[in-house]
Amino acid sequence: MASEAQSTEISSLFERFLRHRDMSLFLPFFLGFTENMSVRENPENPQDPDQETPTNSSDRIILINPFTQGMVVIEGTANLDSLLRNVLATKDGQPPASKASVEAMPSFKIDVEMGGGECAICLEEYEDGEMAKEMPCNHRFHDKCIDKWLGIHGSCPVCRYKMPVDEEETDNKIRDHEHEQRREIWALCLQRHTNARIVLHSISNTF
Amino acid sequence: MIDFSRVQKELQECSRDMESSGIKVTPVSDNLVNLSGTIPGPIGTPYEGGIFKIDITLPDGYPFEPPKMHFVTKVWHPNVSSQSGAICLDILKDQWSPALTLKTALLSVQALLSAPEPDDPQDAVVAQQYLREYQTFVGTARYWTETFAKTSSLGVEEKVQKLVEMGFPEALVRSSLEAVGGDENLALEKLCSG
Ligand SMILES: [Zn+2]
Ligand SMILES: [Zn+2]
Repeated sequence: MASEAQSTEISSLFERFLRHRDMSLFLPFFLGFTENMSVRENPENPQDPDQETPTNSSDRIILINPFTQGMVVIEGTANLDSLLRNVLATKDGQPPASKASVEAMPSFKIDVEMGGGECAICLEEYEDGEMAKEMPCNHRFHDKCIDKWLGIHGSCPVCRYKMPVDEEETDNKIRDHEHEQRREIWALCLQRHTNARIVLHSISNTF
Repeated sequence: MIDFSRVQKELQECSRDMESSGIKVTPVSDNLVNLSGTIPGPIGTPYEGGIFKIDITLPDGYPFEPPKMHFVTKVWHPNVSSQSGAICLDILKDQWSPALTLKTALLSVQALLSAPEPDDPQDAVVAQQYLREYQTFVGTARYWTETFAKTSSLGVEEKVQKLVEMGFPEALVRSSLEAVGGDENLALEKLCSG
């Protein structure tokens, strides 16, 4: 369906300007797309429809184009939430691995005769008696090195194998983050376009 | 806390194979937080012949967080800010992995010089030019390499002026400079011997 392509397009657009913090190129497009988005009825996020949660929050982002005096209102719908969620997930890289998946990795004592080499994280040669862990992709690292990394990003440092993610935890984290992120968009717009008036409102259910 | 022992190891490895890679990394401060890297412009690109200096800052969490890098040498490229030198490269952001090193990161930056990604630009003006007027882009990129990335810190025009002031004809000065790739000392030798 057309909306699927469109949603992906919007998502990559958001991602872009969040990443480059350069609104100047994308602002007109951004205004255009958001306009489309706000008139769509009950939009569903094609990427993870099951994560779409009903929300009572009616955050609105109001964008005013200084050149045309046109105004766009983005409703704080689930679609926008999941849009921002996708953007954040990409922007921040792979989320941390779930505790259970880290605990499930087999750990073992290093025996250099059985195979030495170096840990790709700390670049130290393995020594007898040190503890190491093996990821599901068969890559091995010092246990302390890989535990630390998987607590930040749940992917193999060597082959980028993706570890399972703790769904609930990420959701909460993203939710917290999301609010800041919207403010950030706002702040960025003001920074970049002193002429542009871009207003962000948090309105409780008045409409 | 930066893993200093790892950084030391990286520096040793870099200096060991500097000949083959052409990539150089040297500490700027004793605390190993600020480093300076250089990459040669890839052959067959408008950056060929240039040496590009890159400022490196290691965050506290290195190598669990990516090193911060930006070009000190001015460069005309869709994924590098022509103003600030900021680099748009995924491995320096969300695609960083602790198995990467300063050397492999600089190699990736070098690869970016060979293969611009104008659809994911850092500098919108350069990206537009790359997409719409490719020949103009190549010319500008080459001129910037010549002016900012050649061994001497002097720009082309300054070199020309300097040599003309020494009494050589301007046309000859320009052709000599071009023949030796912009190095004013080599050009002077050539002018004196010719
Ligand atoms: Zn290790
Ligand atoms: Zn792996």
